Amino acid sequence: MTGPGPPPNPLSDRQRWLVLSLRAAMVLTIACAGAALVVPGRAGDAAAVGMIVVLVATPIARVAWLAIRWFRRGDLRFGFVALALLSVVGAGALLAL
Amino acid sequence: MIAAPLLLLLAAATAAVGTLGGLGGAVILVPALVVFGVEPSLAAPLGLLSVAAGALAAAPAQLRLGQVHHRLGVTLEIAASAGAVVAAIASDRVGADALRLVLAGTAALGAVAGFARKGVRNLPQAAFAGEIAGEWPGTLGGAYLGPGGVVPYRARRLVPGLGAMVVAGVVAGLSGVGGGFIKTPAMSEIMHVPVKVAAATSTFTVSITSATALLVFAGQGRIEMRDGAVVVLGGLLGGVVGARLQEVLPPSTVRRALAMVLAVVAVVLVVGR
Repeated sequence: MTGPGPPPNPLSDRQRWLVLSLRAAMVLTIACAGAALVVPGRAGDAAAVGMIVVLVATPIARVAWLAIRWFRRGDLRFGFVALALLSVVGAGALLAL
Repeated sequence: MIAAPLLLLLAAATAAVGTLGGLGGAVILVPALVVFGVEPSLAAPLGLLSVAAGALAAAPAQLRLGQVHHRLGVTLEIAASAGAVVAAIASDRVGADALRLVLAGTAALGAVAGFARKGVRNLPQAAFAGEIAGEWPGTLGGAYLGPGGVVPYRARRLVPGLGAMVVAGVVAGLSGVGGGFIKTPAMSEIMHVPVKVAAATSTFTVSITSATALLVFAGQGRIEMRDGAVVVLGGLLGGVVGARLQEVLPPSTVRRALAMVLAVVAVVLVVGR
């Protein structure tokens, strides 16, 4: 039996993995930033590079995840929009580098 | 050089304000760092690190509340990124003073728009009481949980909105800031997206812009790693605080706070010449 109140939300878990992944990325970023400040020498530098890699990769991976999700669910229009964004970002990075 | 505690404090404060208003925060942090003696060429990457960290920290709370409209953000970010790429290529042909005035004028315009509007456009509707907060699949509409109940909304005027995002991208590409201070007012005032959704969606899009720009700065060797680590820790802290403030403050307060910050940014950019 359940008590009074709103019915269970069928979509409440829809972005659970995204939220968990973002939290994991945040913890990893904190660990890398802390290590970059505390650990001397090359290990500290490597931690700083790791921190930047996580910060750069996370939003790109998020858009890729959205593209896959939208394609799987038949939302083709926005799936292609997400792919187009990834292409623009990739082209921009290549041009600038 | 700037002392680490001051750097941490500046990054946390600007990321909190940036996340609250969807501004990103680099547009505040970069001038502040320059005032404290950091080379502009090093301040821009630090500003973007703060934006990326703040956006990462704010995202879980904003997603939980259904405030991020991914479809709208991805659609608008194509225009912004394209503008940013073109502008970055042409950036050496634009004078620093002209750019500063353009930034100041844009911030002032956003401030005036925020102060001028009275009342709330998107109101709770009883018919949507059972609606789940979040975006509606296949559309640029959705619903979010406002102070008085569930508020449905739909983004309007897509073409002018895309035009504003191109401008935001061009400004971002020229100046090295995320462009959130243009994106949030444009989404809210031109496209009639509720300010909390606009701020959360803008926070998502500036994380993409900053990731692209950081890639470039890293390739150029312009990121000072130890200062960067301090800024990232401050940005993460500020992002959590900003998202929490965004959750508890009413939309009208968020809009006024955003307008006030934009006015301050405009004054700092003009006075700092």
